[in-house]
Amino acid sequence: MRFRNRRNRRARGAQSNGGVTSLTSLGEGEKGIVTKAMGGFGLVRRLTEMGITPGIEIRVLRKCAFHGPVELEVRGVALALGYGVASKVFVTPLKDEADA
Amino acid sequence: MPNQLRIALAGNANVGKSVIFNQLTGLNQIVGNWPGKTVERAEGTLHFKGHTIHIIDLPGIYSLSTFSMEEIVSRDYISIEKPDVIVNVVDASALERNLYFTMQLLELEAPIIVALNQVDFAAKKGLKIDVEKLSKALGVPVVPTVAITGSGIDELLSTVIATVNGEQKRKSLKMRYGREIEKRVQAIEKLASSKLSQLCTVYPTRWIAIKLLERDADVAGKLQNYENGKEVLKFAEKSAGELEKMHGESSPVITTSERYGLATKIANAVTIVETPPRVSLEQKLDAWTTHKFLGYPILAMVLASMFALIFLGGNFISAGLDYVFGIFTAYIESVFLLFLPEIAVNLITDGILAGIVAGITIALPYIVPFYIFLAILEDSGYLPRAAFLMDNLMHKIGLHGKAFIPLILGYGCSVPACIGCRIMETERERFLAAFVVVLIPCAARTVVILGLVGRFVGLHVALALYAFDLILVFILGRIAFKIVPGEPVGLIVEMPSYRRPSFRNIIMKTWSRTRDFVYVAFPIIIVGSLVIVAFDALGVIDYITVAASPLMSDWLGLPPVTSIPLVFGILRKELTLILLQDVLLQQGMVLQDLTSVQMIVFALVTMIYIPCLATIAACKREFGWKRAIAIMTVDIAFALFLGGLAYRFLSLTMLT
Repeated sequence: MRFRNRRNRRARGAQSNGGVTSLTSLGEGEKGIVTKAMGGFGLVRRLTEMGITPGIEIRVLRKCAFHGPVELEVRGVALALGYGVASKVFVTPLKDEADA
Repeated sequence: MPNQLRIALAGNANVGKSVIFNQLTGLNQIVGNWPGKTVERAEGTLHFKGHTIHIIDLPGIYSLSTFSMEEIVSRDYISIEKPDVIVNVVDASALERNLYFTMQLLELEAPIIVALNQVDFAAKKGLKIDVEKLSKALGVPVVPTVAITGSGIDELLSTVIATVNGEQKRKSLKMRYGREIEKRVQAIEKLASSKLSQLCTVYPTRWIAIKLLERDADVAGKLQNYENGKEVLKFAEKSAGELEKMHGESSPVITTSERYGLATKIANAVTIVETPPRVSLEQKLDAWTTHKFLGYPILAMVLASMFALIFLGGNFISAGLDYVFGIFTAYIESVFLLFLPEIAVNLITDGILAGIVAGITIALPYIVPFYIFLAILEDSGYLPRAAFLMDNLMHKIGLHGKAFIPLILGYGCSVPACIGCRIMETERERFLAAFVVVLIPCAARTVVILGLVGRFVGLHVALALYAFDLILVFILGRIAFKIVPGEPVGLIVEMPSYRRPSFRNIIMKTWSRTRDFVYVAFPIIIVGSLVIVAFDALGVIDYITVAASPLMSDWLGLPPVTSIPLVFGILRKELTLILLQDVLLQQGMVLQDLTSVQMIVFALVTMIYIPCLATIAACKREFGWKRAIAIMTVDIAFALFLGGLAYRFLSLTMLT
């Protein structure tokens, strides 16, 4: 399932819901376009280098219970972010294209 | 044509650099399926078609910026030492992210060859990569490899030789940025080449310009030594400011996005998505083991089965070996007695032979099963999942989930675990992690806990000791977190896909770790046993027992002679149990003569009181004397304090 949408992963902003929200508010399996990462110079840079750049599409794979870390797929790689880190990444949620 | 070549392996974490390194050199660099395990660069030499090739395995990094020590070390090595070729190991199943790093190597204008690794794994994901097209796009040779099986390694070496001989005709890709960025890069470049001509002989001028535009603190620091450095720096800062105003992002985010843009373009152009893959067993496994609820019982089960295996397997093997060696020792003794005086025979059997036998029958049976289990955990890719699950809990002691990895390694040996703390990002986190890691009972301490308490008191009591230790780790970790100043950082870790651990690799790893253990531990065990026999002959033991008697018998409730194994235990922890047997033997006692409470107190004190000499040395190297001593002091104080409390508490509850 994880890599099924590789080809049309970057259908940018196709069905944007509008409002910008934190990555932590996306549910498992939901997708979004990264708008901005907040936080210190070092953290933002690190996130960018791991591929979380403005305009990229990401998909939440898993969320841990009780404000735990979030696992997401970005650029074909699975990445785990602590809750604190994930809450600083802002995304525009996308409606699921249901494996179109 | 040079006969001596130097090549460096560089690339992202967990792409198979160490596997390629081992294939090339025939050495046994520890490999495993978790990002960050190569913390020190490894070096090796091989001979190929009349060339002597020196190979360096650089630690895995995601970028050549200055986020971590490893990144600075790697980029300085590449630009200052100038190896003949850099083999950029690229994970074919995550091409886009890996090419981002390739873009940076190209910017450093290093002579690179791409080893497109794990092509088999990419195929499993339904991805096929057009090698020729990728080579054309990057302008460098690309060799597909499957490092685990060794396929493509010979071709890689031939390509290395061909490249050094100048047979590589392609011109490597020179990335151009967007107009506004490019304009500024070139302006800084022009200024730098006239004002910083010396620095430009070490690093490529264009690279210096880009790094200055990115506000790279390390490069900016290098300018301080130049007369006109300030002028260039000021100009670069002004340019960066303009860019940031234009884009509303910090300048490194802008350049990184551009680099990623190109990496994406190339990756998409050369990747052919064949069949969309079905949900594989690995993915199902992944879903279960990181499930928000199911994940925890699974984690508990994994750890519990680890201890069950070590205990049951260890006990079984230990008892068997004990029996065999019992007959063997008696036989040897009777043979020696035929032609040697009794004192000499005693020295040999009680000193040397008893030490070796104890090492084999007490230590090895518990250590080998653990190493096997650890190798499986490492190779499968479970460790990062455990880090993911434990992130929340680790935050309570001011660390993030990644610290759970050295913590688990700590159950094997504190030394690699202590060094493994380098996967933590900041100095503060490394220290906090090391502080709790040394409290984890390593395999040697497991020998004492299981071999004494588990064997003679009961497994449930031994497990209770482990549980108590974890609680202690948590409490002490939390106190340290409150005392050591600084802000905690969050978790950012890649989750590698699950792999089936290779049987050969597990055996190799277990073998090399066991061998290291035997080489280091056995001489110390033998010397320790000899010293005890000698001490006994000279009557020194009596002095020590009298001197230590108030602490040992009054406070801890242990026989005073037990102070000797505890002192020698600083050398190695499993020595405490082996020497305990020795000193008791000198008193005409065996291990079983100790009461349950005494066994528990002894194991508890051994578990906590001080990291062994090797661990102290590792701590000192990582953090300096002051902090190493701080860790030691806290551990000794707590061990004696808790030992005394346990003695009083257990005497009340267990024996009455």
